[in-house]
Amino acid sequence: MSDEITEHPDRPQRGQVLFAALFLICATLLLAAIEDQTKWLKGKDFFAQPRFWPAIGVGGMVLFTALHFWHLPRKPRRLPRWMREADWFQWAESLFWAVLAIGLALWLGPIAAAPMVFLVAIIRVTWLYQHWTDRREAKIWASVFEWAGWFLAYVLLVPLIGYLPVTIAFSLILTWRVGYRSRLMMWSAGVFAVTVVLVFKSFLQVKIPGAALYEYLPGALRSFFILNF
Amino acid sequence: MDLIYDFLAQVQASSSVLARWDVVLALLVGSVGGVLIGAIPGVGPAVAIAILLPATFSMDPIVGLTVLLGIYGSSMYGGSIPAILINTPGTAVNALTTYDGYPMTTRGEARRALSLAYSSSFFGGIFSVVCLIFFAPILAKIAPMFGSREIFLAALLGIILVVTAHRKHTLIAAAMACFGIWLNTIGLHPASYSKRYTFDQSWLSGGVNLIVVVLGLFALSQAFTLLHGDDEKVRLTKLKGSFFQGFRELARHPRIAGISATFGVVMGMIPGVGEFTAQFMSYTYAQKSSKRPEDFGHGSSEGLIAAETANNAVPGAAMVPLLALGIPGEALTAMMLSVFYVHNVIPGPQLFQNDMDFVVALYLALLILNVLVVAFLLVATNQLIKVVKIPNRFLGVCILVLSFVGVYSLRNSLTDCIIAAAFGIFGFVMKRMQLPVVPIVLGMVLGGIMEVKLRSAMARVKTPLDFIDRPIAAILFGMIVLVLALHFRRVWLDYKERKKDEWQISHASTSFPAILSRRRNYILTERGKKLRAKRKTFSRRLTDKD
Repeated sequence: MSDEITEHPDRPQRGQVLFAALFLICATLLLAAIEDQTKWLKGKDFFAQPRFWPAIGVGGMVLFTALHFWHLPRKPRRLPRWMREADWFQWAESLFWAVLAIGLALWLGPIAAAPMVFLVAIIRVTWLYQHWTDRREAKIWASVFEWAGWFLAYVLLVPLIGYLPVTIAFSLILTWRVGYRSRLMMWSAGVFAVTVVLVFKSFLQVKIPGAALYEYLPGALRSFFILNF
Repeated sequence: MDLIYDFLAQVQASSSVLARWDVVLALLVGSVGGVLIGAIPGVGPAVAIAILLPATFSMDPIVGLTVLLGIYGSSMYGGSIPAILINTPGTAVNALTTYDGYPMTTRGEARRALSLAYSSSFFGGIFSVVCLIFFAPILAKIAPMFGSREIFLAALLGIILVVTAHRKHTLIAAAMACFGIWLNTIGLHPASYSKRYTFDQSWLSGGVNLIVVVLGLFALSQAFTLLHGDDEKVRLTKLKGSFFQGFRELARHPRIAGISATFGVVMGMIPGVGEFTAQFMSYTYAQKSSKRPEDFGHGSSEGLIAAETANNAVPGAAMVPLLALGIPGEALTAMMLSVFYVHNVIPGPQLFQNDMDFVVALYLALLILNVLVVAFLLVATNQLIKVVKIPNRFLGVCILVLSFVGVYSLRNSLTDCIIAAAFGIFGFVMKRMQLPVVPIVLGMVLGGIMEVKLRSAMARVKTPLDFIDRPIAAILFGMIVLVLALHFRRVWLDYKERKKDEWQISHASTSFPAILSRRRNYILTERGKKLRAKRKTFSRRLTDKD
């Protein structure tokens, strides 16, 4: 495969550390919830247990993502000078970890405490290794929510207003929104929308319910619209 | 001889299946649609198949599968057009075509490159279908030997191969495969009716639908990527003349074409391997055995033949594990598996025993498809290349509109759409970082198969060795061990090489503070002072008088 992570020693590729950390945190939380969310039934075979495959899945997610995180080309954040040079600070941090691990183990029991300590450790490591490009990348990820929002708005409006009108409006407005304002592009968007509705709803009769608005149409037109558009 | 007679009888029986008007229409739509989709960079067969899946559920299985198979088989033909003309692969598997195709275009040989690509694709496609039609009776004899444990081991082998095929991304690919396995376990456990990871939410108790995930990961994420990106400026060269000369040129390289097609067929049959490995192996073989290996990557016709023949030989072969064992080897066949399930046609050994007509009909459809596609391309290439000019963000809008049909028509559920949108965002993030998403889909499908098969296989196993006491199980187990051993050997060699490189190219840092600090050391040390004093005698300070 041609897609490879660049292995520049100084500069990890943007977002990799952040993604690995977020995925690892989610996986660890899921692993911590396994006892609560799955059952271990007495008298059943080991391989037929309902917990067996979720354990493989979630366990594998934690193990392999942690290894992936470990292997990422990364560069530690440059800490302030006093932090780098103060011995007492490093001693204090080590002590903090020991106290946290022992405290949680005594409080929750060692098995329940392990994912918590691991979780805090991931957050600490992520804080240490994240790069300013990671934060810029996170903004780009967040910007996609706009398109997802458009899509969900489209989904919400179809059962209310109708597949044909919403599709035409959606493709026209979105084409306008992404920057095509010429007459040719607007016409293309309109024609495309009508074609999609005709092919899928009228010809292939795909299951898309008739809209609430169609109920107000007069007799024959109403059933025609509900069936075809 | 018996085999051939059997086969001819099968063909006769199956051709009646294909003579229906809806199948013919499906063939036409599949072939033309596939070429168009392939020719548009940014819309691959995965996007198209994901969107069309729910629409095919209402069709007859043979019709629905013909459309999907048509798109799968013909998209690579279309994908070679932008790969050759504008150096942008139309589908991911055409990436290797750009190596030799585009340099030929820059030399003014665009028409030659295109016609070579068409003819070698045609050869690859036909070769694989013919091989498989002749294999089908043998497969029908072998397939019943696969019991639960063999199918479990084959699925496990598939998942391991998918993971190890992602070189340098093996760890994250493994994590994603496990993510897929976990996703598949959400909902009610069928054997014990206990809830798994439902968090007491009613919408999770039915599980996460594979098609919703696929639509999110492939279609919506692609739409988001296109909407987010910029348009590319495209300059097209005008093509004149016919495209027939490629067949003549291909006939001069029968060895390369034959061996590349064989690689394609073999790699296609192994689940989880697919086009990339087949192309890589055949391209390397062609380069090593060529009289002019230095031309490869600079417009070598042999390189083009190797790449295009190998990738087109895969789709036919990829149907083998799907039909004979019910194990999909890649994302596209995994999607097709859901079409079978919807129609209650369970692919597997029984299909080969009871429904051989159906299998042969599918292969014949693939054969006819290849002929249709080449005929279409020979006539319509000049008009077809204009689709490359469709602007990217507009394509994004189109995919978003079409994705709605795919997700919403499945169950008319808003929840499905939200899940698909979430996976779309996840897929977008993965795409941004060039991480693999295919293992998620295969993890979901193969995870489900493994769960069921392991449960039924373990019921009859007393000691661990019983699991591999049958010959096919033992062979599969041996293959798993071999693949893992080879993988770890490669990891070790990579590690050694990397360490060696690190030692060889360790040089002084080029950062600005480091340069300043070296400069200061040079100025302040005794040796520095001496050196400056020495140099002063040879080049005295310039004055105005000199």
